[in-house]
Amino acid sequence: MSRSDPLMPNTLIVARREYLDRVRSRMFHVSTIVLATLAVLVAFIPIFAKAVDRGTTTRVAVYSSDPQLSATIVANLGTFLNQQHDPGRADPYALTAASSEDAARQSIDQGAADAALVGERAPTGRLDFRFYTGEGIAADRSQLINVGTFFIAILDYTSLNRRAPGQAFTFPTLETVAASGPSTGAAPLDSADFAGRRILGIVFVVLIFIILVIYGMWVAAGVVAEKTSRVMELIISAASARQLVIGKVLGIGAAGATQYVAVLVPSLLALGLENRIATALFGPGDAISPSLVALAPPLVLAYGAYFVLGFALYALIYAAAGSLVSRPEDLQVMALPLSLIAIGGYFQAVLALSGGTAGFIRFASYVPFWSPFVMMTRLTVGRVEPGELVLSYGLLVATIAVTVVIATRVYAAGVLLYGQRAGLREVVEAVRHPA
Amino acid sequence: MGSTCILRCVSLVLDGLSKRFGQVPALDGLSFEAPRGQIFGFLGANGAGKTTTMRIILGVLRADSGTIRWGGTLHDSLPRRVWGYLPEERGLYPRMTILEQLVYFAGLYGVPRDQAAREARAWLARFRVPEFADRRADELSKGNQQKVQFLAAVLHDPEVLLMDEPFTGLDPVNVALLREAFLELRDRGKTIIFSTHQMDAVEAMCESVAITDRGRVVVGGPIREVKRAAGRRMVRISIDGDHRLEWLSEVPGTRLIRPGIDRTEVELDAGVDPEAILAAAIARGAHIRHFEIADPSLEQVFIDHVGRPADEELTLATVPAEDSAA
Repeated sequence: MSRSDPLMPNTLIVARREYLDRVRSRMFHVSTIVLATLAVLVAFIPIFAKAVDRGTTTRVAVYSSDPQLSATIVANLGTFLNQQHDPGRADPYALTAASSEDAARQSIDQGAADAALVGERAPTGRLDFRFYTGEGIAADRSQLINVGTFFIAILDYTSLNRRAPGQAFTFPTLETVAASGPSTGAAPLDSADFAGRRILGIVFVVLIFIILVIYGMWVAAGVVAEKTSRVMELIISAASARQLVIGKVLGIGAAGATQYVAVLVPSLLALGLENRIATALFGPGDAISPSLVALAPPLVLAYGAYFVLGFALYALIYAAAGSLVSRPEDLQVMALPLSLIAIGGYFQAVLALSGGTAGFIRFASYVPFWSPFVMMTRLTVGRVEPGELVLSYGLLVATIAVTVVIATRVYAAGVLLYGQRAGLREVVEAVRHPA
Repeated sequence: MGSTCILRCVSLVLDGLSKRFGQVPALDGLSFEAPRGQIFGFLGANGAGKTTTMRIILGVLRADSGTIRWGGTLHDSLPRRVWGYLPEERGLYPRMTILEQLVYFAGLYGVPRDQAAREARAWLARFRVPEFADRRADELSKGNQQKVQFLAAVLHDPEVLLMDEPFTGLDPVNVALLREAFLELRDRGKTIIFSTHQMDAVEAMCESVAITDRGRVVVGGPIREVKRAAGRRMVRISIDGDHRLEWLSEVPGTRLIRPGIDRTEVELDAGVDPEAILAAAIARGAHIRHFEIADPSLEQVFIDHVGRPADEELTLATVPAEDSAA
């Protein structure tokens, strides 16, 4: 269109209408309540897991180059850890001696142990512990073992002092190492932090999928509804395609954000209260390490940026896709390729949640259609260099800038097509020679 | 030269518009002038390019070539609020109230919300439906939705109104209301361009017309001149109990164009005296209720120019006997 209409105020007027139309609808209210309920249930998963976990046994491989110390750890730490448990249930901890430190670590990889504890006595008499954690160990049990090492140090001091009185007690050292999990060559994450981040990662991958695909489809469905009701004829002469597309994306995006907040607030409250609830349900010894500790402000900002930019990219394409069909039943078929791309990003993000950054996952975290899923997950559970983040955001923003132009041109041509579905040639023609 | 400029500077001037959709030509050098402050009839058969022309004027489509000027200014340089558009494909937001959508559409044209609401209520009252303001569009009949769409097209007080088949689907009462609104807007200095197949509406309301066929204007100008330029004379006659006038074949240089219970239209060749028909009727003892010598109807001019013989398309085709028996 050769007339150059300014973006404002029409974009905001369109956005306002779209926003009010969505948030006033019964479907919005019902879906918000359902999603909020589901989110609260998801937030309580650690409590459900805790209830199940109480009946499981954590297996710890123990090694020390001093056989006596190894035997002390196996015998006394086991007694210490298993002292409070229901008589009808199996011991929550099972400690076994390993033949070497490597063997102890390998038993984690092989699934024979959930963690490995290596204890050595320094020349000063101080005990130095290395605690290798696997993915299967719960954060609270990990913490209890950490406390247990202090108990072992006291026992060890008591027995040594009997043989060599007068030696002062020195606090043991403890190094916690994630035997599997996030590692990009830098320092591994603390396992408790890692566990918290994984819960967050799962929650946010699901949320971004909902935002990109579900809210994106709202945009497409809105365009189709305007074509079906023929009101498009009135609005396309009153506002430019660019104003309409961006206004629709903004308005529906704002409605999505409203629902998002309405879902997130109760689930965050639930996460914040889960520790108290667990204590109330299972007793003071069974507290849950709060998942929210992993939600640092820079991470929140990065999430927000990926939510907004990812939605903008997907919604613009959904708007263009919606303009090319005339009946709601054709929309699913037209939008399927984009939904498949989003699903691809979702699965890669799920893979990335294991903490690995295999070559393809690293590549996918730069690809604009996947970076909102994959890079966000890498940020959550792995370590990302600042340059990688800049590249990912830069490519995403550049792609959005190009997509605005293309989507607007497709939309301008597509909304005037009734009773026919535009072929690829028509779409290319519309992009090359805009109306 | 000066008078031409003055005329063009106050008119909507379309000059040599061409537009193709793929291999299909929609407009082929279409040109016409619609004087400011008049109601202008834009006529053509289905597919003649009327809607495409309106969309190009609005800037929704771009012409492959040609220019459009309003008041001497290229249409690309004009703000959207110059135009008001009632599309042929009608629609409203089904779940929004009428007042909300009227305010919304006016807002897109830059009208403040409170002013738009005030004017919308005033127009609804003029159309004798003030209670529609708070009703949802999907609660209204098609005809009433059409009235609301008309209001959406005029609420921002445009200089030019483009109305694509505005009377289609309306009952006679609403047609009369809409016609009255057109005339009132014309009296307020608005220029109204409307397409329709209802020739009587054009004859009753328009000062000028353009008739298009296959993307070109085949004839245009003030209606009287367009009719006179046809170079034919017509007789409209009404005889009790005889609307087929089969005896007319005995009167040389006459052709029955359109038989009708109320009026039958007869076309005369150049030089034929209309009174020959009157004399022939009297000679047969017919009881003549109406006899009128007239210019050809706009419908006849339309049929002449879009190249479809009246006797081929305005009467039913003869069905072969065997098909009929079957």
